[in-house]
Amino acid sequence: MAAGIHSTTSGIRPGWPGQIDRLSTLFGWISAAMIVISVMITCQMIFVRAVLGQSTVWQTELVTYLMVAATLLGLPYVQKLRGHVNVDLIPLMLRRGPRKALAIVTLSASMLIIAVMVFYGFEFWHKAWARNWKSETIWAVRLWIPYAAVPAGLGMLFLQLAADLWATINGTDKPFNIAEEKD
Amino acid sequence: MDPLTLGALLAVITVLVLFSGVSVAVGLIIVSAGFLVVFDGLRSLQLLPEILFGKLDNFALLSIPMFIIMGASIASTRAGADLYEALDRWLTRVPGGLVISNLGACALFAAMSGSSPATCAAIGKMGIPEMRKRGYPDTVATGSIAAGGTLGILIPPSVTMIVYGIATETSIGRLFLAGVVPGLLLVALFMAWSLYDTWRKGSADAIAGRSYSWRERFEIMPRVLPFLLIIMGVLYAMYGGLATPSETAAVGALLCMVIAIIIYRLWSPRLLWDVLRDSTRESVMILFIIGAAGVFSYMLSSLFITQSIAEWIGTLDVNPWVLMFFINIFLLVAGFFLPPVAVILMAAPILLPIVTNAGFDPYWFAVILTINMEIGLITPPVGLNLYVINGIAPEISLRTILVGSMPFVACMVVAILLLCFFPGLATWLPDMIMGPAV
Repeated sequence: MAAGIHSTTSGIRPGWPGQIDRLSTLFGWISAAMIVISVMITCQMIFVRAVLGQSTVWQTELVTYLMVAATLLGLPYVQKLRGHVNVDLIPLMLRRGPRKALAIVTLSASMLIIAVMVFYGFEFWHKAWARNWKSETIWAVRLWIPYAAVPAGLGMLFLQLAADLWATINGTDKPFNIAEEKD
Repeated sequence: MDPLTLGALLAVITVLVLFSGVSVAVGLIIVSAGFLVVFDGLRSLQLLPEILFGKLDNFALLSIPMFIIMGASIASTRAGADLYEALDRWLTRVPGGLVISNLGACALFAAMSGSSPATCAAIGKMGIPEMRKRGYPDTVATGSIAAGGTLGILIPPSVTMIVYGIATETSIGRLFLAGVVPGLLLVALFMAWSLYDTWRKGSADAIAGRSYSWRERFEIMPRVLPFLLIIMGVLYAMYGGLATPSETAAVGALLCMVIAIIIYRLWSPRLLWDVLRDSTRESVMILFIIGAAGVFSYMLSSLFITQSIAEWIGTLDVNPWVLMFFINIFLLVAGFFLPPVAVILMAAPILLPIVTNAGFDPYWFAVILTINMEIGLITPPVGLNLYVINGIAPEISLRTILVGSMPFVACMVVAILLLCFFPGLATWLPDMIMGPAV
């Protein structure tokens, strides 16, 4: 396997990590659907503006929020696919035992920082909701709607990381997805 | 601690964290959060989700998933094979037609897909076995495809250029144009080396190809033309002032999907989902790095690291070309280890003020930076293209692929030198089409 890029694993694992995998896949579908919808809306916007000669109000803002939401909600699914690019130079140099220990450390550290982001992300969303913030455009979107993607996507990413950590500890997953017989 | 020492400490810690195998995006957030907590207090963490959201909340970024869908739908079809075959049939009388058509197919496919690994895989699957069958040395067969694939990030539309444009607030349309002539220059250098090497190794017979009838030449055209028309349409819409890059990318994505479904009969939901899944995976991965790099650059500027480095370099009073030399070495080394998007996002905000203060053109610099990143794609340890080729031609050793790629690395260095002597290679086309940059 290439240093730097993890391979794709699409299998569902046994036990509760499997439930998390399924939920992450659902998030992945939602994310993909949002991207497709953005393609359609952007094309509709160009049609309205260029062919019908009318001005557009909500499209640019909506597709931007859809793209942000697709990114944040897609995070757990991409984590499940091992699609977040990484550089596994140090893990490749380590033997099996220390490599597993390092995998546990990096996954735990990732969980910690994502937990912090979920906490403050929830606060960020809650403020927008409680104070009824609106975007400064003609469309004036209630901002808690797009902001909800921050705690939702990062929260699910946290759960996916927890499932991956568990699978690494009990040996279901290979640390860093590196084949054992390598090196 | 003074900001410069802090910068040095930060560089060491960032490298260690990123090499630990943690994902690049999360790693950047971990480093940023760590430094902010230590030097700015716990309170500063509060802003991180808002910064992440704010960095992503940008209409220009929409062009990334759109161009990725465009590339993924083309890559999922036989378009690569068709393109390759068409060029081979048309260029068969040209000496060394096969390697030339391979490199030409790489350049065109790169222009359509915007992705280096996809280009390598699509053209290499057909091209490498065919070149070996006709007696080209393994090093030329694999090296030319590995190097040809790297053109994906230079020839427009290029996701790497979009990311540079967003990170440095430069015009994406102009960046795309700046990549055209250097891209063609690289193709020419690659072709020259391939032909020379084939001839030198006594495989000159391989250079004479087989011949095709005019009928065979024309019958393949309907399968290639639609995609070429889309590319021309996208470029026309963008430079004709009809739409922004994001908007044209959306139309391009829709058209490419429609063509993949109609002409290439990609109508099974399973295959369509594969295209969507791959595009979602790649877009989310890149956009998350963009958001995380936003958090990283927020940390850099709130701890005054960016400003201090720029000031410090200013006081050094070195010759701009010496400075550029060291910047190139830095980019080259960074590119050996990190994916291009990550290097650009981390380095561009720091380097751009330094580079522009030294009197260099930001669009010219984008090209230099991108060619450095291309080198990283075909050099170990992370050289993605090498592994892609190893995957599609497992009978050729990684060592042979690597040896074959090295002369092409030299071609890229030559291109960087030529661009240094003749900056107009990058700036002439954008200046001519869009008027001089302000």
